[in-house]
Amino acid sequence: MYRRQLKLALPGFVLAASLAVTGLIGARPAAAQQPPAPVPAAQAPDEGTNDPYENTNRAIFDFNQGVDHAVLVPVANAYRTVLPPVARNMIHDFLQNLNSPIIFANDVLQAQPNLAAETFGRALINTTVGFGGLFDAATAFGIPYHTNDLGITMATWGIAPGPYLMLPVLGPSNPRDLAGDIGDSFGDPSNIVASNHHLIWASFARGLTSGIDERSRNIESLNEIERTSLDFYATIRSLARQRRAAQIRHQKEDVPNAAPFQGASALPAPVPAPRVATLPTPPAPPITYSVAPQPNSVGDLQKSSMGR
Amino acid sequence: MTRRRFVFCSLFIAVGLTTAAPRGMAQSDAVAFINQLGVQAIQVLGPNVAMPQRVQRFHQLFGSDFDLPGIAQFTLGRYWRIATPQQQQDYLGLLQDYLAQAYAGRLAQYAGEKFAATGAQQQGDITVVSSEITRNDGSKIGVQWHLINKGGWKITDAYVAGVSMAITQRDEFASVIQQGGGQVQYLLDRIRQKVRS
Repeated sequence: MYRRQLKLALPGFVLAASLAVTGLIGARPAAAQQPPAPVPAAQAPDEGTNDPYENTNRAIFDFNQGVDHAVLVPVANAYRTVLPPVARNMIHDFLQNLNSPIIFANDVLQAQPNLAAETFGRALINTTVGFGGLFDAATAFGIPYHTNDLGITMATWGIAPGPYLMLPVLGPSNPRDLAGDIGDSFGDPSNIVASNHHLIWASFARGLTSGIDERSRNIESLNEIERTSLDFYATIRSLARQRRAAQIRHQKEDVPNAAPFQGASALPAPVPAPRVATLPTPPAPPITYSVAPQPNSVGDLQKSSMGR
Repeated sequence: MTRRRFVFCSLFIAVGLTTAAPRGMAQSDAVAFINQLGVQAIQVLGPNVAMPQRVQRFHQLFGSDFDLPGIAQFTLGRYWRIATPQQQQDYLGLLQDYLAQAYAGRLAQYAGEKFAATGAQQQGDITVVSSEITRNDGSKIGVQWHLINKGGWKITDAYVAGVSMAITQRDEFASVIQQGGGQVQYLLDRIRQKVRS
């Protein structure tokens, strides 16, 4: 995923990925299946944008939008025109496989042996049976992909995200996740190999391709969200936050497929503990507080306590 | 048994069945409801339906299958309380227009993809139906539908890959209202502008 791609050589086009990550469609399903824990409506603070630098962020967002429209979207469109879906999927799977070491390392840092085993198994299968990662054979064998990174690891350790930041070209982030991205990029084996052999351009190319790949998968969805939004910036901010919170929840729970949800034993239950819904009226049921974010991860908590 | 008694008994049994229906039954019913909605949406998103009709059909769906009053109140957040009754009323109508337009566009790209509700869970008053969209490239997106039973299923929210549509909408509207100096009317004007453009 793009998060791995903040490499030693900062690829310019990762904006795409960053934007794309907020797109509904580019969503990695395995990474984000769990809605947040229920929170009683009564204690919901209404605003929780945690965006003290909003004016600056908006200015950067406008700049990013300009780059996106002028460069990224045309490039992503060309990418889609030139390459057939099969080739694009191979590139996508290859890049995803390349991220395995960092995902694995973070699975380990989070003490998630099952997820770590999945990641390891996936890398093994895809690198061999999948012809060096060109095919995602592991998913076909029933080992789904999940993402992970140092920002998520720090979140599971209880480190707060800090204020919302719109990074030039790279898109939505926060100090914690930015630090995580930088850390990941230094720890990434293929980056280390590349830099040891004076092949910084390879890291750059990887980041660039990742950005184009992500953006090309989200052209329509982002387009439509932009077209139909009243405040695109605020929509992206909300989507990015919720999505990140969902990824963090996923890693905390370690329930990719089997949901240990109370009362759900009789169900096939591919879906764990969804959050209790939009109505202000019904009192929130006393369920699943096991999922509640750490009290000190303010920004993530904010997201789930904003609402009901 | 007399005819009258027969009628009485049937009625009694019918009432008993509907009120005491086991939870599992209600849940499979909710799953069927979402599957049905999926079928309708896919139909509406088909290549033979022009955009204006699509918006119109979504408008109907939001009216019939969604808990609009609840969604309206939720998405306006704390501003619901400071809105005048007239503004609340206006907002309800505008929200339906806006959602119909927005989602007719946002969902267009799902045309021709597979949709299946897979199961349901009870969460207090809320029945959560899980579903999955299988994209043409084989990737899957999980969508969780939150339903309440108001003498018929009504959707209160949908979580797409863990992201709540209602929260997203509320966050956006809150931001618009803030730009308008905390005036609900500013949001209403902006939505009106948008749905008429």
